[in-house]
Amino acid sequence: MSRPATESHDPAGSDGDGTRGAYPPPVRRIALDRAPTVVADDPAERPLVSPSIERALRPATGRERLRIDELSIFYGDAPKPAVNAVTLPVHEGEVLALIGPSGCGKTTLLRSLNRLIELTPGARRQGRIVLDGEDIDGLEMTRLRRRVSMVFQQPNPFPMSIFDNVAYALREQSRKRPSKRDLLPRVEHALRRAGLWDEVSHDLSRPALRLSGGQQQRLCIARALAVEPEVLLMDEPCSALDPISTTVIEQLIHELRSELAIVIVTHNLQQARRVADNVAFMYLGDLIEYGPTEELFERPRAERTREYVGGTFG
Amino acid sequence: MLARLRGPLTDRRAGLLLGAPAVAVVLIVLAMLVFVAIQAWPTFQHNGLGWLGDGPAPTGGTVDQQLGSMVEGGEAPPPSAYAIKAWPLIFGTALTTVLSIAIGIVVSVLAAIFIVDLAPRRVRNVVVPVVRLLAAVPSVIYGLIGILVLVPFVNDNLISEGQRQSVQNVIPLTGPGLLVSVVLLTLMVTPIMIALITDALESVPRGWREGALALGVTQWRATMSVAVKAIRPAIVAAAVLASARALGEAIMLSMVSGSNGYAPRIQDGLIFLFEPLRPLAATIAENTESINSAALKSTLYAFAFLLLVSCFVLSLGSYFIKRSLRAQGAR
Repeated sequence: MSRPATESHDPAGSDGDGTRGAYPPPVRRIALDRAPTVVADDPAERPLVSPSIERALRPATGRERLRIDELSIFYGDAPKPAVNAVTLPVHEGEVLALIGPSGCGKTTLLRSLNRLIELTPGARRQGRIVLDGEDIDGLEMTRLRRRVSMVFQQPNPFPMSIFDNVAYALREQSRKRPSKRDLLPRVEHALRRAGLWDEVSHDLSRPALRLSGGQQQRLCIARALAVEPEVLLMDEPCSALDPISTTVIEQLIHELRSELAIVIVTHNLQQARRVADNVAFMYLGDLIEYGPTEELFERPRAERTREYVGGTFG
Repeated sequence: MLARLRGPLTDRRAGLLLGAPAVAVVLIVLAMLVFVAIQAWPTFQHNGLGWLGDGPAPTGGTVDQQLGSMVEGGEAPPPSAYAIKAWPLIFGTALTTVLSIAIGIVVSVLAAIFIVDLAPRRVRNVVVPVVRLLAAVPSVIYGLIGILVLVPFVNDNLISEGQRQSVQNVIPLTGPGLLVSVVLLTLMVTPIMIALITDALESVPRGWREGALALGVTQWRATMSVAVKAIRPAIVAAAVLASARALGEAIMLSMVSGSNGYAPRIQDGLIFLFEPLRPLAATIAENTESINSAALKSTLYAFAFLLLVSCFVLSLGSYFIKRSLRAQGAR
């Protein structure tokens, strides 16, 4: 039902612009009120916001890595799909943020990209997901999940040492058990990319569970990067973290973007605005609006989007 | 005084009330250990380290003959009546315990994985209560089934006439023995291990499994390399609990072991499995009626002392193993 609404609001786009002219519209005032609490103590973010306007003008960041094509996910006997015929591209070198209120299907969508959704009993999928021109159903599951790696909401390092955590997938994927010395360069590389190396290099044999929450999450990112993925999925990676760790991880997302495509689910609109190149807004399983970050936040075309990014609901 | 007791239970009084039984248990265990050690002392004194040894004692005969001659020693036995080399009994105890625990660990880990990861809800709802029920079956029932069903089956179908004849001058093969003992002991200790390991496996956070799967690891490897690895302390704990039960099992093993103070010989090949034995606990249970012989009494206390010490060593060992495993955050 929201979908037709989108279309009917398309002509009203100019209307939306008109509202924006009557400054300050409620949407922006709320955004400004909130902004300092999250961003003010964080000068590192500042320069990152303005280039996003420049980014918004660029049509696409790179070649298309992943295409979600008319994807629907059903849970059990529920009549309404949790994700309803969503079509989205994911480009190399971009951060795509999925935003929307709880239960809108964004995590379900994310988890279907590496077929983790199939672990949920009763989940059914329709539509296609294409990775570099290949349907992911045709790929071996283990291969797919190394190319499309994932970081979870709750940091979930294994109860092993830091080294063993990062080396875990490398050891599992090799037929012969590689020695620690052979693995070290790759472990170091992954930890450096995740910005954790300097903090942990003095003792890699420390238990991972003794790290702080933010460090644990970066360790999980390092673990996911160790398999050299093409796409990195992040499911609200900062929602269990404090503001400082969140800043560090957002910084990291910026640095990683150049090397891979990132799809991030977030509840935090400010975060989506800070880190994303493109944003997809979902509501009740429907993709309501998709576009460059600046565009979607400043000039949302759909009524629902306007309400959501303005803080009317969510 | 009574009025004070009727008052509300303060934390201090509750602490004393609950602490008293705990302290009492520790004291009783210590007292038991000391008492048993003192009672066992004469036999250790007379035999020295030879007590643990194998073969005929200075006075000759097998371990069973040595035990028999103790009875004749009466209340004031000569030193020679104490002579014993208990190795066959110790070996029988260790053999049955180690084998049944080793098989039990493998079986219970696999069963727990099946229950937690693979079994459909309906199967699981049946299997879990049944396993817990099995853990509570009195051992004498296993012994009865063993002696009425398994022993005749082994005697009639597994032991060949050639095998029987090849060792007939050493030991009679009649059915009861190592195989039946280990099968029943495994059956007896495995349910409790399954129950404990299932609980541990269920408490493994879902995030660990999903994390492994998301790294492109198969379900089986995710279970083995993350979940089972994480619950190693619980597996150790289950194994120790089960070995304590196996070490102390007297009645059932007395019924199905053949009750012969013989140390099965691995070099006998397949026949090894059919050779009779008798563990320490069963030996104690079978000899209690002749306890008025001082030499035998001391010897039985020595067996008890050995079992007690083994249990302490096991508990202590498991404590250190668990501590080192938990250092990495395993549970």
